[in-house]
Amino acid sequence: MHSTDSADAPRKSAVVADDTARSRDALRPGRLQGALFQSIGDAGRAELVERRLASAITGGHLRAGERLPSENDLARSFGVAPTTVRESLLALRSQGLVVTRRGRNGGSFVADSADPVAHARTALAATSRVALRDLGAHYAAITAACVRLAARRAVPSEVQQVRSRLARLDESDLEQWRSTLDDAQIELVALSQSARLTREQMRLQAEMSPMLRLIDVDETSRRAQPVLLASVVDAVEAGDDHEAVAATERMVDAVINALIDLQSPSR
Amino acid sequence: MSTAARAAAIVSQYFSAPIASLEATALLLGTELAASGNLGPLSSQQIDALVEPHALATVALPDVHIYGAGFIAAVGLLTDERNHLSWWQGDDPKRLLLAAQSVNKEHIDYSELEWFRVPMETGRGHVAGPYVDYLCSDEYTITIAAPVHIDGTFVGVAGLDLLIDSVERQLLPKLAELGDNVTLVNSVGRVVISTDPRHATGDAVRGGALAELERTACEGVALEIIAE
Repeated sequence: MHSTDSADAPRKSAVVADDTARSRDALRPGRLQGALFQSIGDAGRAELVERRLASAITGGHLRAGERLPSENDLARSFGVAPTTVRESLLALRSQGLVVTRRGRNGGSFVADSADPVAHARTALAATSRVALRDLGAHYAAITAACVRLAARRAVPSEVQQVRSRLARLDESDLEQWRSTLDDAQIELVALSQSARLTREQMRLQAEMSPMLRLIDVDETSRRAQPVLLASVVDAVEAGDDHEAVAATERMVDAVINALIDLQSPSR
Repeated sequence: MSTAARAAAIVSQYFSAPIASLEATALLLGTELAASGNLGPLSSQQIDALVEPHALATVALPDVHIYGAGFIAAVGLLTDERNHLSWWQGDDPKRLLLAAQSVNKEHIDYSELEWFRVPMETGRGHVAGPYVDYLCSDEYTITIAAPVHIDGTFVGVAGLDLLIDSVERQLLPKLAELGDNVTLVNSVGRVVISTDPRHATGDAVRGGALAELERTACEGVALEIIAE
């Protein structure tokens, strides 16, 4: 109920089954055999874990050189067996996204060669125009619903926080530029006071963000974005829900058009 | 005693144990961090080991359903990570690992979020929300946070999360027993819960019928009661 995280499901059932599991502990075979008796729920989970980590890396959320949490920590958080995590790390290693170092300061790290911008360029090229427009429609629908509520519910000091985040945008650091804009966007929609809508927006933001980095490279498109977002912020602060929705649609249109321009062969 | 005063007393009573536990944790953590810090700068693993027993004890408090608890380090405090959350949450509390969330949240800058910023700036405990907590619980939440200091230097905040879902289940029946309609609002006038089904959680009272009515402060927690 509290989380939409799909990894939650096995954890919850594990809680229910806890007592029987503990009483069976004494009969459990040795460590090596443990993998054999891994819960059925782990079948196909290695691929899920792999996909989750891969999208975090190619999306730039885990940066080149960054250390991944330990296998045991990852296993606990995903609610899967450590062997499942190990399997997915093996796959990520073969894709060249992750490197493993041995020794005292060892562990798994994001490969230095993992470049989210290059990855986004490939992903954008492989996306059809109809899919891009549909992504825009979904994004605009969720964001519009959020800002409509936010315009009714937010208090001025909260809106001011979003504005002061935007004021810290730094063009000399495009990583910071993108994460600050993403944070401001989420902070704004959270003012809707709707947990469901905010979660949906976060999923969409994670999907869009790598592609938005491509737009950020172009000075004109880059500079247009905070201006468009600021006009949504202004409308929310004024309590004008109609204008907040209209400004959101203008913002999303501009972004999708910029992405389609990037796709076209004339560029 | 007026309905508003009785309602305010019920609310104060509900929040008193979690707040007392949090303040004790913040003080103890300051002392323990100072002692460990004398041996050299701390790593995230060391912090987690210090925080875990406190967080689990807070989440296990009886009577009030606490969803999550822990310590959020000031940026740059630790040797190995710039940002760090030592946070346990859920019915079977597990350490929150941002990298493993369905949407990666590792690079969200939490220093600007209310529950972190206000205790840092004022040096005092703070009740943040209700708000959508998109960093930890992913739910509509109240976060109570207290600053942790080492020799007067701010090193982070100790905090706990209450889901509004739980607050509604636990507190609303007690308020409903009072008979009159009672609405609990936060310091910016946002409805936390109301015995009047027409007042939705999350709505602002400004501009509505409630805006004109007197508000009664709940002692020990920055929330107010409006009785109709």
